Amino acid sequence: MSTATESSLSSVPPNPGAAVLELQDVHRTYPGSPPVEALVGVDLRVEAGEMLAVVGPSGSGKSTLLNIMGTLDRPTRGTLLIEGTDTSKLNDRRLSGLRSARLGFVFQSFHLIETLSALDNVATGLLYRGATGRTRRKMAEVALERVGLGDRLHARPTKLSGGQRQRVAIARAIVAEPSLILADEPTGNLDTATGEGIVELLQRLNADGSTIVVITHDPDLAERLPRRVEVRDGAVLDGTVFDGTVLGGGVR
Amino acid sequence: MKDRSKLRGRDVVATSVVGLRSRRGRTVLTALGIAIGIASMVAVVGISSSSKAALLAQLDSLGTNLLQVEAATGGLSIEPLPIDAEPMIRRIDTVQDASAVIDTGFEVRRNAYDDTLVGINALGVTPEFFETLQVTTTAGRPLEEGMRSLPVVVLGEVAAVRLGIHDLEGGPTINVEGHNFAVIGILDALPLNPDLSRKVLIGDEAAVAMLAVAPNPTSVYVRIDPDLVAETRPLLAPTANPGRPAKVKVSRPSDLLEARAEVDQNLQNLLLALGGVALLVGGVGIANVMVISVLERRGEIGLRRALGATRGHIRSQFVLEAALLSGLGGVLGVLLGSGITTVYARRQDWVVDLPPTALLAGVGAALAIGMFAGLYPAAKAARLDPALAVSGGTG
Ligand SMILES: Nc1ncnc2c1ncn2[C@@H]1O[C@H](COP(=O)(O)OP(=O)(O)OP(=O)(O)O)[C@@H](O)[C@H]1O
Ligand SMILES: [Mg+2]
Repeated sequence: MSTATESSLSSVPPNPGAAVLELQDVHRTYPGSPPVEALVGVDLRVEAGEMLAVVGPSGSGKSTLLNIMGTLDRPTRGTLLIEGTDTSKLNDRRLSGLRSARLGFVFQSFHLIETLSALDNVATGLLYRGATGRTRRKMAEVALERVGLGDRLHARPTKLSGGQRQRVAIARAIVAEPSLILADEPTGNLDTATGEGIVELLQRLNADGSTIVVITHDPDLAERLPRRVEVRDGAVLDGTVFDGTVLGGGVR
Repeated sequence: MKDRSKLRGRDVVATSVVGLRSRRGRTVLTALGIAIGIASMVAVVGISSSSKAALLAQLDSLGTNLLQVEAATGGLSIEPLPIDAEPMIRRIDTVQDASAVIDTGFEVRRNAYDDTLVGINALGVTPEFFETLQVTTTAGRPLEEGMRSLPVVVLGEVAAVRLGIHDLEGGPTINVEGHNFAVIGILDALPLNPDLSRKVLIGDEAAVAMLAVAPNPTSVYVRIDPDLVAETRPLLAPTANPGRPAKVKVSRPSDLLEARAEVDQNLQNLLLALGGVALLVGGVGIANVMVISVLERRGEIGLRRALGATRGHIRSQFVLEAALLSGLGGVLGVLLGSGITTVYARRQDWVVDLPPTALLAGVGAALAIGMFAGLYPAAKAARLDPALAVSGGTG
């Protein structure tokens, strides 16, 4: 695993050592009575070429954290930097532009468009980049080959297995070659063996240079990733663990 | 910063089409509302313009230069026209033809022993009547000079049917006030003067001599130079009755036909209003379906936002979807409306007249309605919180 990290660090990063993403004292409070403090002062740095797991019990704030990292949500307080850019200064259009160019998402429920073929689903990953249909489809084909679905280009999602659907979703996330891939419970809807395949795919992509953040509450999965961040009650318990050591979960 | 979201124009359209294609049944049903509205509008416009064209052609062939001069009814007494009203009118330069008629006021019976009245009056006419009104007979012949005092009669088309006389076989007769008249002819239809079809025509001299009516004409039909109708019309009343021109009424039978077309106009307005209501309902239906669609597609909207769609991109996708949905209805409606017009006009033996502007306006109106109906749902879609939308959460 550390080998994978090293190889990715040595291969691509445009700006070695630079943070792809940096959270500084990020708070997120959902309004209501009483208000829910989903995140309370999170600091986190993700470096180029890293692959990390965000773990924690249900309701601890993992999805909130991922949405903020993905600029789908804004911190109530604190700062999010993506490749050095302070996102709090960007309006909705700029944020959308940032997402289209630099971020790739993988969701638990795949979010594929059922009437489109696998190829066209992957091609939508480039739709808002303004690429021509031809370019989009050509790049989508390459991406599908990378996830091992080069033979199912024209299949509708309904004709694919759960694991294949998630592969299509992953191909869509990587097709625009983003700086950061954010996956929220990518194996949550899959059985163990199929989930295993998805994890291996993500690891392979990371080995090829992609920076990946995976949310999971599957400890087995988390343990196989080079770095784990544990979230408890909206706070990051222990910033970074680079080896296989189980985190001290009892701190409270 | 160069990271700009960009969506090509053709992709906006393609994306909206995907949205519609993925819900085919609903798309067609929703479009149907608009289709019905547009179809009724197109049919109303098409049928009325076909009918107008047919009417104008008919009026042209019948001639709009026939005027009727009659003693004005109203007041306590009818002031009859002077006996020489017809010759006086003939003296006007622009008058081509004039022909006096005397309404005897007597009803006709089948024979002396049959007391049933069928609502048919006897009219005293001269042989010129047939020329002035340009009418021919379908059976027998018209009155001729020398028959004016004979007990002979020509039946109007409707009068003949009411009297049960369909041909001249066996020498049919009718009875007026105890006098038998031999039927010598049956008139063709008189589209401009349907009232005359319900009369029987006897000679003016016979009317005066046998039925003892006053020799004053009750009407004079006047055929005028077609280019000088307007100029001649005001001269008729003072010429017919120089002493009491106010007691003379001048009318143009073709105006009646035109007036009937005006009555159709009211029906048209009603149908147009109904079409408008259908469009309104159709528009509301589209807005409704789009709102539902936005709710159902939160996940898709969230995904597109995650892939980099701006609020504007989402808004245009949904506005365009609504417009295309409605536009589809518009195209269906134009086809349907044209079909209805064609079938109807063919049945009426009219030339089909479908104004191209009306067809374009139909599709254009549908697009505009859809766009308008889509504004609110699209704004709702664009306002969705992307984080909530991807999680499939509500609120
Ligand atoms: N939109 C929202 N409005 C109000 N409260 C919210 C909202 N989203 C999340 N929360 C609350 O914020 C806290 C963190 O939720 P979050 O979804 O981030 O947890 P999670 O770690 O992803 O949980 P899970 O493992 O079940 O997905 C929870 O208490 C949740 O109820
Ligand atoms: Mg979650």
